[in-house]
Amino acid sequence: MRWIDVADLEALPEGGVLGVEAEGTPVALVRDGGRLYALHDCCTHHEALLSEGYVEDGCLECPLHQGRFCLQTGAAVDGPVELPVATYAVKAGAGRVLVCLERPGEAEEVAAEPARPRPQPAAVEPTPSTAVDPPATIGAPLAERCAWPAEGLTRIPDWVYTDETVYRREVERIFRGPTWNYVALEAELPEAGSFTRSYVGPTPVVVARAEDGRIHVFENRCAHRASEFCRELRGKTGEFVCPYHQWSYDLTGKLVGVPFRRGVNGAGGMPADFDPAQHNLRRLKVTTRRGVVFASYREDMEPLEDYLGPEILREFDATFDGRQLRILGYFRNTLPGNWKLYHENLKDPYHATLLHTFLVSFGLLVAGNRSAMLCDASGRHGVMASAKSDSATVSAENRQEMRAYREGMRLEEPRFMDFVEEFDSPWSVTMQTIWPNLIVQREMNTLGVRHIVPEGPDRFTMIWTMFGFEGDSEEMTRHRLRQGNLMGPAGFLGLEDNEAMKFVQDGMRSGAAGEHMVALDPRIPAGPSDSLISESAIRAMYRHWRGEMGL
Amino acid sequence: MSARAAEPASQTPEAWRDPLRLRPEIEAFNVAYARALDQGRLMDWVEFFADDGFYAVTARENHDAGLPVGLVHCEGKGMIRDRAFAISTTAMFAPRYLRHFVSNLHIGAIAADGTVEAESNYLLVQTLHDRPEPKLHQVGTYHDRFVRAADGGLLLARRVCVYDTLLVDNSLVYPV
Repeated sequence: MRWIDVADLEALPEGGVLGVEAEGTPVALVRDGGRLYALHDCCTHHEALLSEGYVEDGCLECPLHQGRFCLQTGAAVDGPVELPVATYAVKAGAGRVLVCLERPGEAEEVAAEPARPRPQPAAVEPTPSTAVDPPATIGAPLAERCAWPAEGLTRIPDWVYTDETVYRREVERIFRGPTWNYVALEAELPEAGSFTRSYVGPTPVVVARAEDGRIHVFENRCAHRASEFCRELRGKTGEFVCPYHQWSYDLTGKLVGVPFRRGVNGAGGMPADFDPAQHNLRRLKVTTRRGVVFASYREDMEPLEDYLGPEILREFDATFDGRQLRILGYFRNTLPGNWKLYHENLKDPYHATLLHTFLVSFGLLVAGNRSAMLCDASGRHGVMASAKSDSATVSAENRQEMRAYREGMRLEEPRFMDFVEEFDSPWSVTMQTIWPNLIVQREMNTLGVRHIVPEGPDRFTMIWTMFGFEGDSEEMTRHRLRQGNLMGPAGFLGLEDNEAMKFVQDGMRSGAAGEHMVALDPRIPAGPSDSLISESAIRAMYRHWRGEMGL
Repeated sequence: MSARAAEPASQTPEAWRDPLRLRPEIEAFNVAYARALDQGRLMDWVEFFADDGFYAVTARENHDAGLPVGLVHCEGKGMIRDRAFAISTTAMFAPRYLRHFVSNLHIGAIAADGTVEAESNYLLVQTLHDRPEPKLHQVGTYHDRFVRAADGGLLLARRVCVYDTLLVDNSLVYPV
């Protein structure tokens, strides 16, 4: 019988559980009631590590679906589990914990120490409610129809995602309000005369580089009859001419030509006091940073750097690190859901391992990865970040072996998941949600911006611009393209997010007044969190949204 | 039974270069390919590719501009098999039926070793199980390069599916 030294006894406090590896076998060590226990670390129900679970009432509870196993016997006690988990003999000696894989468990007593009380989470302070009782009906004024639930930010009412009037107010107060909206990458506008079509909220705009090299953003709507005059997705031109009546505009959006302005043979034409300078295209304020172009309807916008705040700016600059961007191509998809669901999906680290079983099944997600959900002070922007870890108790390699063995699942070409270090950031993955219409994706080496174009309360288009950098080797470009299989409308992760958001919108289709629950992680009422099991960043976004919307 | 059993193999190098015999052979190949996908036999679909086969799905917007990105980008049969395996075992999506309609085969250059450049149009119609109406999910062109397997049958060394439909309706789950 062979005893394997697996851990320092001090690393395992009373009431605690620790994931270790005994010559390749994952083991969950538990110290409970002054005794040691060792169980196989894999839940028999679903892909999950028991060592990430909880010890309670002589049982080890799986973190995923709350299946409970008896510490003493490994028997499935409660929850969805049916099969028992293996137990191993365990003992303490010279301050170390030793397990024997050949013998089933028999708890070992250790010197008693006072039990640590588990910290009790504080209750979330309910936000003062403006709720009006009884519930208002459709057709009532907005303020009555759209009352926020009394519980505060831990509930989101369905009307936030379904109401047409709320949506129209979002267009006015958010997309045409005091926000910087993403419109393009400078790499798409390489020279004077380059232009690309884009959107601010649902409004079509043109982004063009003028003769002096400056970038201009103006509405794609003729000042004469509202025609969306620019029809090419992108290109190069000296001027824009509306095809309907040939009104023409220069690269800054200035009206320069009105055919037959003075009529023909002295008859017809524009009124004598017509002043072309008063009929330019609607022009927006423009700013750029590190090759990313933003526009705003407001003239009084703060600088982009202040708008983002230091936490977000740091990650923005880590991705846009000064290298020239090289466009690799585009995806476009329509999503049958409310545009805010996309922000929420990326402020919701809870779903990552639960929805995306691809990562877990193939052993690509290592428990113990460092991660964080960052927010700016206003709560409107966020960064979901994680880092590949080499300090996890179980090595990534062995974890992969373990998972692959369990399900017979292994990728034939796992190299597409490699991370080539190239950024000045502690994070290997960051998903930046920049309010109101931009997602910056840095999923290891596959990079892109996702542009949200809302089309109503229950539908939006997403335009993905994938990029690498000038100077990338051919192999690096191919690596980015291969890794791109994770994301996008056909990505292993991306398609699941799209499907899940569709399911959420479908769930609200009945029109009955319901509400969502976003109560995870009550110790943080609204703001950044270092826990993945948190919805505090979603609450922070809605704190901001309610202020902007007056709802 | 081979995944490609429906396909009448032309056995001689002379036959490989005869467009009149090649046309029904490629058309039969495409029927078998579409049938495997329409029946949800993703692992069989993998067998239509050569070991170093390349498979991609991309928007015409990218293809026409020479931009390399793909909704799907598989270098080699290993990556093709990984995708088939991952989609059929781990991916979460609403259940659906697909039908591929492949037509208008154009046969381009035929090399001495039997390598053939070809193009076909495709329609991809998707029906969600719980929705009454089927939807035109993609309209596009297969840009193909066929090579000869050891048994003389056709294999795809390259299939790039280029769709005209600018927008993907939510997600593209199954191969095209």
